[in-house]
Amino acid sequence: MYRYDEFDHKIVTDRVNQFRGQVNRRISGELSEDAFKPLRLMNGVYLQLHAYMLRVAIPYGTVSSKQMRMLAHIARKYDRGYGHFTTRQNIQYNWPALDRIPDLLEELASVEMHAIQTSGNCIRNVTADQYAGAIADEIEDPRIISEIIRQWSTFHPEFSYLPRKFKIAVTGHENDRAAIKLHDIGIVIVRNDKGETGYEVHVGGGQGRSPFIAKKLTNFVPAEKLLAYLEAVMRVYNMLGRRDNSYKARIKILVHETGETEMRRLVDEEFERIDASQMLSLPEAELDRISAYFAPPNYENLPAQSEVFEAAKGSNADFNHWVKTNLVPHKTPGYGIINISLKPIGGIPGDATDVQMDIIADLAERYALDEVRVTHEQNLVLPHVKLDEAKEVYDILCAHDLATPNIGLISDTIACPGLDYCNLANARSIPLAQEISTHFADLDKQYDIGELKIKISGCINACGHHHVGHIGILGVDKKGTEFYQISLGGSADEQASLGDITGQAFTEDKVVDAVDTIVETYLNLRQPEERFLDTYRRVGMSPFKEQLYAD
Amino acid sequence: MAQHSSKGARFQAVTANRLNDGEVVYFKDNGWIENFAEAEIADGQEAAEALLTRASPDNMEAFILDPYLFEVSESEDGFTPVSVRENIRAKGPTVRTDLGKQAEAG
Amino acid sequence: MPTKTHLISNGAVIDDTWVLIDDETPLDDTPAIISLDRLKAEADALRSRNAKIGVVIRTNTQGKTKLGEDVRELAPYLDMLSTIAIDFPVYRNGRGYSDARILREEMGFEGELRAIGEVLFDQWSFMARCGFDTFEIDASIPVEKFKEALNELSEAYQPAVDNQRGVLWRRHGL
Ligand code: HEM
Ligand code: SF4
Repeated sequence: MYRYDEFDHKIVTDRVNQFRGQVNRRISGELSEDAFKPLRLMNGVYLQLHAYMLRVAIPYGTVSSKQMRMLAHIARKYDRGYGHFTTRQNIQYNWPALDRIPDLLEELASVEMHAIQTSGNCIRNVTADQYAGAIADEIEDPRIISEIIRQWSTFHPEFSYLPRKFKIAVTGHENDRAAIKLHDIGIVIVRNDKGETGYEVHVGGGQGRSPFIAKKLTNFVPAEKLLAYLEAVMRVYNMLGRRDNSYKARIKILVHETGETEMRRLVDEEFERIDASQMLSLPEAELDRISAYFAPPNYENLPAQSEVFEAAKGSNADFNHWVKTNLVPHKTPGYGIINISLKPIGGIPGDATDVQMDIIADLAERYALDEVRVTHEQNLVLPHVKLDEAKEVYDILCAHDLATPNIGLISDTIACPGLDYCNLANARSIPLAQEISTHFADLDKQYDIGELKIKISGCINACGHHHVGHIGILGVDKKGTEFYQISLGGSADEQASLGDITGQAFTEDKVVDAVDTIVETYLNLRQPEERFLDTYRRVGMSPFKEQLYAD
Repeated sequence: MAQHSSKGARFQAVTANRLNDGEVVYFKDNGWIENFAEAEIADGQEAAEALLTRASPDNMEAFILDPYLFEVSESEDGFTPVSVRENIRAKGPTVRTDLGKQAEAG
Repeated sequence: MPTKTHLISNGAVIDDTWVLIDDETPLDDTPAIISLDRLKAEADALRSRNAKIGVVIRTNTQGKTKLGEDVRELAPYLDMLSTIAIDFPVYRNGRGYSDARILREEMGFEGELRAIGEVLFDQWSFMARCGFDTFEIDASIPVEKFKEALNELSEAYQPAVDNQRGVLWRRHGL
C-alpha cells in the first residue's frame, strides 16, 4: 500500500489547519454561511436532513487495518457507532458536529487519511477495481496510476472550479469492476503490440439526469504521458464545458454536444501542446517509487489446493455456499479473495458498525496481509487470504453478521441514503432494499435466480446507480408522496448499458410485487445458463411490461 | 434544497438546522427548540410569513441555517408535518428508529 | 462583488492607474482597459496611440459569450497589451484559471495579468499558481492577510505557472 512521505503529510496537515481556521471563523460569526458553505463542501462536509454528513476519501478503495481501526474509532467517538460505505468507495458519517470535525480530520490525518476531493466541482477521489493486485490476468495494478492521478489532481490550481464535479475510475483487468464507462474519465490499462503497458482513455460517461456511456478517445497513452493527456482533457472541459445550466455542465454533455470526433481532435490538439512542453512528463523514478508500494506482498509458497479448505467445504454446506458466492480465486496459488457482504438480509446496504469495522481490521491484520478494500457495490473485500484459513475467517465473519452469502445475488442491492438522510432525495431508498432482500431471503431461491443486480436511487442524481442496475429503481416525488420508477437491462461492466424504463411509476407498497413479477417473468422465459441480463437482452421489454401492467 | 413549497397551506411552522451540530430545530417564541411538538404553528399565509420574518432576523444567520416554512396538518393528537421529508426530519431516519429525535423521545 | 476594492500586485498594494473604458467612450491618454471586441475592431488605430492599453476577457454565462471570450483571439495583439484582466463573474466559474495558463504558457504573455470580479480568499493561491500577478480584491482585506492565504498550502503536487515544480518531480530533485 502507498505510504505518505513528508510532502504528503504536509499537504494533508496544512489542509486540516486551514479548515480549523475556517470553522473557527464561521462559528465566531466572522464568516457568513454563504462564504463558508463552499469551504466546508471542499472538505467533504455536507448538511443533510438531520445533521452534518462527513465524507471521508478512501482512494481507490484501499485501506490498511490501522486505517480501518481509525474509521471505527471515528464512528464511535464522533458519530453514532456506524458508517456508510458508498458506491464511490468512500465512507460517510451521518452525525458529526461541525465544531468537532477539525479534530476528527486531525485524527484521520494521523493515519494518512482525509476528506479532500470528496465534494465540490473538482476532480474527485479516484476509484479503481477492488480486486487490484489480487486478481489473475491483470495487466497492471490500477492503484499505481490511481495514486499518481490522486496526487496530480489534489488541489489542482486550474481544475478546482470546474463546471461540475469530475470522477475518474481505473481498471487493469478486462472484466470491469470499476464501472469505468460511467465516469467522466474511465481508464483501462492495456498492453500494445510491442508488449508495452499504457492507458486507454474513455471520456464522457455518467449517470444523473442524462446518463451516457463514455466514448473511447484514445487506445494508448504511455505512462509518462498520461498526466499530460488528462490535463488536456481537463483543459478542454474547463474551457468549453457549459456553465449556464448545472444539469448540462458535466463533461458527458460536452462530449455529446461536440461529438466524439471533434472532442478527440480538441483533446489531441491540447495534448500536443502540453506534451511538447514536457512539463507533465512523469519522471520514471516517481513511477518506480510509487509502483514499489504496490509490489506483491510476501505470499507464502502454497499448493493450489488446500486440504483444510476442501474438507471444510465438504463438511459444512453453509460454508460451501458462502465460498461459491463470496470467495473469488486469487492469482496466487493457495490464496483467495474474500468478499464481505454489507448486505445482511433486511439490513441497510453499506452500513457497518464500529465493532464490525474493528473486527474487519483484525481479520485484515491477521489473515489478509493487512489490507481491506471497499467495492463500488458497497461491500468490503479481504484481498489476500490463505485458503487454509478461509474457514477461520468465515467463522469470525459469521459471528458478526458479516457472512451473508449473497455477492452478486438479488439481495446484494445497492442503495443510496435516500430520503432517510439525504437533503436532495425525493423518496426513500433503504427501506426498499430491505423489503426486497427480505422478500427474497430464501437462499435457494436466490441461487436459482442467479446474478441479478438491483440498484436504487432516491432521486435522479443516481448515487445508487439505478441506470445501470439489471433492475434499477428510482424514487420520484409526486406531490410529497414517494413513487418509484423501474428500469430493466442496465449494466455497469465492460458491456455497459443503460436501463429502459418499464412505464408508469409504482407506489411504495407495489414495488416488491413488481420486482417479484419481473423475476418470475425471467424465470419463465430463461434458457439454460441465461442470467437475467442475458434473457432481457434476448427478449426485450415487452414480456416484462405485459406482466407488470397486466391489470 | 428540496424545500416543499407551502403555498396554499393553512397551517405552517418554521424549521432550520443549527450551525454547530446541524440539529433540526423549530422556531418558537423568538427562539429555537429541538422538538417539533412544541413548534409554533402559524394559521394562514399571512401569519406564516410573519412567523418566517420573525425567525429570520439578520443576526440569526450566525447560528441557524436557512429557516423555511413547511406545511403541517392538524390531527387528533396535535400537529404533524405533511410531507414524508418533514416527518423524517422531525423524527429521524425511518430505518434507524434508535437514532435521531425519535430515539431521544423514548 | 465587494463595493470597494484595492489592487494587490506582486505582494503589495498598488495604485490602479488603469481605467476600464466601455465601447462607446472615446479614449484619451490615460491607460485604458477595453473590451476584446473593441480591441479587435480598433487595433490599427490603437497601435499608433501613445498611452498604454489593456483588455478585459469576459467569462459571462449569458448571451453571446455563453462560455466566455476566447483568450486565444488575443494572439495578434499581445505585443501591444500591457495588462490583461480576466473577469471571474462568480467564484465558482473557474474558466479564468485556464485562460491564465494559456496566456502564460502557450502564448508567452509576460505583462500584467489581473484577476477581477469575485476574487475571494480561497482562490488567490490557485490564481497565483495559474499565473495571475495582480488581484483586485475587497479593500478591507489587508495585504498581510493576502500573503498568508497564498501560503496556507505550502506544497503542491503538480506543476503550474509559478516556479514550484510539483512534488511528483521535486521528490527526485527535478
Ligand atoms: C447524501 C449526500 C449526497 C448528496 C448531496 C449527493 C449529491 C449528488 C448529486 C447532486 C449528484 C449528481 C451530479 C451530477 O449529475 O452532476 C450525485 C451523483 C452521484 N453520487 Fe451522490 N450524493 C450524495 C450521496 C452519495 C452517496 C452516499 C453515494 C454512494 C452511495 C454517492 C455516489 C454518487 C454517484 C456514483 C453519482 C453518479 C455520478 C455521475 O453522475 O456520473 N452519492 N450525487
Ligand atoms: S441519489 Fe439523490 S437521494 Fe440518493 S443520495 Fe444521491 S442525491 Fe441523495
